[in-house]
Amino acid sequence: MLKTHLALFLVLVTVALALVLPFLLPWSYDQIDWNAVRAPAFSGSHLFGTDEIGRDRLARLAAGTRITLMVAIAAALVSLIVGIAWGATAGWIGGRVDEVMMRIVDGLYALPFMFIVILLMVVFGRSILLVFVGIGLVEWLTMARVVRGQVMALKQRPFILAAEAAGTPSITIMLRHILPNIAGVALAYLMLTVPQVVMVESFLSFLGLGVQEPLTSLGILVKEGADDMDMTPLGLALPGGLLVMILVCLTIEGERLRDRFS
Amino acid sequence: MGGLIFRRLMTAIPTLLVIILASFFLMRLAPGGPFDGERPLDPATQAALQQAYGLDRPLWEQAWLYISRLVQGDFGPSLVYRDFTVSELIAQGLPISLTLGGLAILLALLIGVTAGLFAAVRAGKATDKTIMMLATVATALPTFVTGPALALFFGLWLGLLPVSGTGEGGAWLIMPVVALALPVSGAIAKLTRAGLASVLKQDHIRSARARGLSETKIMLKHGLRTAMVPVASYLGPAAAGLLTGAVVVETVFGLPGLGRYFVQGALNRDYPLVLGVVTLYAALIILFNLFADLIYGWLDPRMRDG
Repeated sequence: MLKTHLALFLVLVTVALALVLPFLLPWSYDQIDWNAVRAPAFSGSHLFGTDEIGRDRLARLAAGTRITLMVAIAAALVSLIVGIAWGATAGWIGGRVDEVMMRIVDGLYALPFMFIVILLMVVFGRSILLVFVGIGLVEWLTMARVVRGQVMALKQRPFILAAEAAGTPSITIMLRHILPNIAGVALAYLMLTVPQVVMVESFLSFLGLGVQEPLTSLGILVKEGADDMDMTPLGLALPGGLLVMILVCLTIEGERLRDRFS
Repeated sequence: MGGLIFRRLMTAIPTLLVIILASFFLMRLAPGGPFDGERPLDPATQAALQQAYGLDRPLWEQAWLYISRLVQGDFGPSLVYRDFTVSELIAQGLPISLTLGGLAILLALLIGVTAGLFAAVRAGKATDKTIMMLATVATALPTFVTGPALALFFGLWLGLLPVSGTGEGGAWLIMPVVALALPVSGAIAKLTRAGLASVLKQDHIRSARARGLSETKIMLKHGLRTAMVPVASYLGPAAAGLLTGAVVVETVFGLPGLGRYFVQGALNRDYPLVLGVVTLYAALIILFNLFADLIYGWLDPRMRDG
């Protein structure tokens, strides 16, 4: 059990640590320890040392992971809702409407979307709310395609035809019969969307366009570490390693779920 | 074939127009302007500058003017890099970004297809599992982590490669290209492996085996071509990913490419520069998608009319 789900286990441990550590550590993520600027690892109460202005690395890692995952889950949910609504509508109605709706998705796929998101961030200030709405609005495309395919396939199944013949309204069929049947696949793609979003959020934060100080995220920590890497490689290695680990683990679990449901 | 190209170009024009207009109005919604320097300018100068660049006219008129100039290949002047036109900045940055992106996609194809082939040949064995594991890890390597990590290791510690700028020779390209190529190569390896696995079960492969062709020949001649279809359809999104990755890589390694101009331009409210770069990016991505479709049709003739 532990061995086959090592990836999931690692993510859960990370999440648990990110949630619990702030209550256990003597330092908060934005607190400066003037007596221990650039402290090396394992010095006093700083397990991983402190950064270039004396903030505890471990506390910042926990805070950054929390924000990154929070943004990722929120944005993935936005993409889930938009994707299901769009894909299910297109798949259910079919015909012309489906064609137009899917053409729009195809067209949006071809856009330099990251650049539009960057513009959004620049234009509307860099609020954390906007970060995940912006990312969520970018990442719904795959979900819409997958859901549409599922709905199209389900529509031909006898139990749906029977429900239609019995005069059940479309909206009830959708909610009672279609949605429960696509939940598994949607969950798998939701799981695969989360690492995508983590990547985008960190990318934006790295460029200074995402989450803003004093809040922190893994992207910001990587940026800070990269700026200071000639002094302390630890500053880059810790958030970078953690970020890669989270991405790898979520991808592995997401792909496993996807393969099971498709 | 000609029909496909024509149809694509016909949809490309409205798409481009929508992108240009959307970016145009988005930029203008932003608070602040290009002339808000550290020292506030006196109102007369401010007004004169606004007038000189046509920023005092109604927005729609400005948009119309911009597009009508763009059609003639004029991207307008840069508002922040005062002595340059946007075309000149693009002419400087584009070759760097294209070199980075082009080399990265070639490297990714080389690594990805080779790794995928090896994995497919050894399907189910330890080699297969190791390669697929590595591929998963590679896809999860963000350029903003690998870039600095490579710079730290090969640049600062080993002193083998230049950390910043475009020095003599091609050594400066190595780290940025590798950082860009890694995640794409992972994805290509997975697609190649999956494509080959499904192709190798098909009848024409079985009959090739029955005719006693060597396994290598079957793989390369009969298997790989069909297996490349999903890879070809991934090339479009890959190109978009590389362009965004290039923004980071250019920032990390201090390369004067398009991506840097884009981020700087957005932060400085350099409207024409940002619009120019977005337009160019959009055109590049559309072009690359078309190119990918052509490869697609060549690999799988059934797709040609679709």
